[in-house]
Amino acid sequence: MTLAFLLFCLCLQPKVVSAMPPVQRTVLPNQLILLFSQESSLPFVTIQLLIDSGSRRDPSGEEGLSYLTARGLLLGTSRRTVTAIHEELDFMGASLSSSSNRDYATLSLQVLKKDLEKGWDLFMDVLTQPTFPEEEIKREVEKTLAAIQSAEDQPDQVAEKEFQRTLFPHNPYGHPVDGTKESLPRMTREAMVRFYRTYYHPNNAILTVVGDISADEVKTKLLPSLAKWPKAAIPEISFKPSFAEEEKTLKIDRGITQANIIIGQIGVSRDNPDYYALTVMNYILGGGGFTSRLVEEIRNKRGLAYSVASFFDPGKYPGSFQIVLQTKNSSAREAITLSLQEMERIQKELVSEKELEGAKKYLIGSFPMRLNTQGKLVSFLTQVEYYGLGLDYPEKYPSLIRSVTREEVLRVAKKYLHPRNHILVIVANLKESGME
Amino acid sequence: MAGLRERVFETVLPNGLKVILLEDHKAPLVTFQVWYRVGSRNEAWGKTGLSHMLEHMMFKGTKKIGPEAFSKIIQENGGNDNAFTSNDYTAYYENLSADRVRVAIDLEADRMQNLSLREEDFRTERMVVMEERRLRTEDNPQSVLIEQIMATAFQTQPYHWPVIGWMEDIARFTLEDLKAHYKTYYNPINAFLVVVGDFNKEELLSKIVEAFGSQAKGVAPDQKRDTDPPQIGERRISVKKEAQLPFLLLGYHVPNLREQDSYALEVIATILSGGKSSRLYLSLVREKRLVLTADADQSLVSRDPSLFTLSAELLPGKEVAEVEKAFDQEIERLQRERVGEKELEKAVNQLEASFIFGQDSIFNQAILLARYEIALSWKTLDDYLPFIRKVTPEDIQRVAKKYLIPENRTVGILIPLPSKEGKPLPPGGDTKGDAVR
Repeated sequence: MTLAFLLFCLCLQPKVVSAMPPVQRTVLPNQLILLFSQESSLPFVTIQLLIDSGSRRDPSGEEGLSYLTARGLLLGTSRRTVTAIHEELDFMGASLSSSSNRDYATLSLQVLKKDLEKGWDLFMDVLTQPTFPEEEIKREVEKTLAAIQSAEDQPDQVAEKEFQRTLFPHNPYGHPVDGTKESLPRMTREAMVRFYRTYYHPNNAILTVVGDISADEVKTKLLPSLAKWPKAAIPEISFKPSFAEEEKTLKIDRGITQANIIIGQIGVSRDNPDYYALTVMNYILGGGGFTSRLVEEIRNKRGLAYSVASFFDPGKYPGSFQIVLQTKNSSAREAITLSLQEMERIQKELVSEKELEGAKKYLIGSFPMRLNTQGKLVSFLTQVEYYGLGLDYPEKYPSLIRSVTREEVLRVAKKYLHPRNHILVIVANLKESGME
Repeated sequence: MAGLRERVFETVLPNGLKVILLEDHKAPLVTFQVWYRVGSRNEAWGKTGLSHMLEHMMFKGTKKIGPEAFSKIIQENGGNDNAFTSNDYTAYYENLSADRVRVAIDLEADRMQNLSLREEDFRTERMVVMEERRLRTEDNPQSVLIEQIMATAFQTQPYHWPVIGWMEDIARFTLEDLKAHYKTYYNPINAFLVVVGDFNKEELLSKIVEAFGSQAKGVAPDQKRDTDPPQIGERRISVKKEAQLPFLLLGYHVPNLREQDSYALEVIATILSGGKSSRLYLSLVREKRLVLTADADQSLVSRDPSLFTLSAELLPGKEVAEVEKAFDQEIERLQRERVGEKELEKAVNQLEASFIFGQDSIFNQAILLARYEIALSWKTLDDYLPFIRKVTPEDIQRVAKKYLIPENRTVGILIPLPSKEGKPLPPGGDTKGDAVR
């Protein structure tokens, strides 16, 4: 009996368990959280530092400050000019990059094992001794403005920006992470230094180390410099998760052949207990690759779109739910109607047993593929820690998904989807779309 | 680490199907891939894009399974599947748990020979392909410029037309065209398998033999295609389209990895645009402040000779002529001055490191093996780093003088038109692009 039971368990779960290499979690005296996992099949190391300083902390009028501060780390230090940093990195063939999103900023390094010490020295230098040179900041602002202008040529990005702005009018999630045409020219060195001094501290950070490096090497090569990084008080900012609740339609006219459409509304935060039921529901509706209902109705049956998908975009605070598609201008109305019908259908009828099982099998079975490179593992571990999912998350995940029922899918569809109260953004040739 | 020649197992089944296997036990996963030696280079004038159209139809069912069932079955087994088409190949893959590889093997074997090509499915899927072309090309000004560059640089060689095909041709396809294309190119003799991941090669091979071994060999299609005669003078084109910023692209005819010079060109591309200490970044982005991005690239592993490209997206208010001049200065510098030892060493280090980083993904490893196999042989992959290390400053100078000359290039300029809204503008790709299902 016991043996049979054991075998049964093994058959169901071994892949998921073995997919996750052992991870060590340590909290250093300066309260930096350190995650470490050794994987020595290839001679390189991947390191990611997360700082809880995303664009939701941008002060009003200084949109883009989080992003520019993160980028600013690499613009020069007390020991190195920006050119010296680039030269040193390229000579190792290493990559060191920094960025931010609405929740957090990251600094990421990928370096050959033989260059680990040099790479690490550079990593700690840009993290703890950045000087934010005035001239370099001006260049970075100029570049960011040009990139924003260039993105105007991508209708999907134009639609996305308009959607976020409309959904979150008085909410720090509403402005673009890289700032706006209005805010960027006002950006100063002083603001960046202030933002850096406020948030870039070990007690506000998570460091994840993955690859060809032993626990002993972490101790002797990485810890000494990390220990010298002093902690400091982090101010709490209040976050009002407000969002637009009324139905709205935004139309942007362009001389293009396709209507780029977003139908969306408020979604959930990552810690919402309904997250797993929503994951299953959304897989069936429009998240399930080539097998979702939206793909079936809009692409497979009618040939109206090359890509159509839906997703929840959960953050520390509630993000959006979106259906995104592109179709020739003249089919815009039909595609919108079909999308709304599918939202309504999943709210009215139980999904089939087959659909439910298909979704669960995919979500559970494909989990190991989310961890199978150093780059993927490093960001997975960092996010598991940041969103408080627990290092046993890969082991818990199958049962979290398996426990979702058809009734629960129906319940969360009713609770979280609002087909009659959505925001519609359309970037298209409005005349051809019949949307003028 | 031992070379691939020691680690990869290759065999050819009696029906001509080549099988390339690489064990990698890091994670309990497998990538299973079928590559057909057919792409847009195998198409005819008037029917361009047929290979890509057929790629879409490969998901529309066989005598055994219905339309769209293929991906459903793979996904229910916790896997991802997709396909992509280029000038030279059409490739299909399944990434999944190692204990489910049999599912992928059986499904791929089935659709290699038993595809149902139905009129109704075809008519709907053709609309999807048209939407794909609108998405990737029509509404993307830089893609339009790249398409025009290729159509100008290549006059007789099939790289002249885009992988996805001209819109008029897509509208012209018939089901009979697809059936003929399928019959000619989808045979064991014109395909190979690449599998990388957590398996035992003997066990896997017996499964492969069982599923594919009994299929009829087919006739090896004629793969010879004309290549362009040497270019005899610079060609210039422009594209005027609603856009924000000008884009400049220069394409020079160059050989592929069949010739040693291609490795020197690989090093040149890295010296010019590998990282932020590269020459183009230092000169065009930092010093002259002319461009948002500048890039040098080439397709080492194209089956026929392709282009070495220099491209730049301009900063607002900058002149295309200035950027072109700056490109010319950098090319002249390569021809005139010997590259210093340290700069050469840096480029080699960069290429070595990215080669090692690239091996982390079993999917990428399989794609790399396959692309070399398409161009020449997967075994050539072992020569990549040794050949890169052999490149001398003299090679770089000689190769720059031989290929990177005005007579051998096509210059393309995207001239932005103001948006039709009449909003005043503020002051001021990739030639190997695969079409994915």
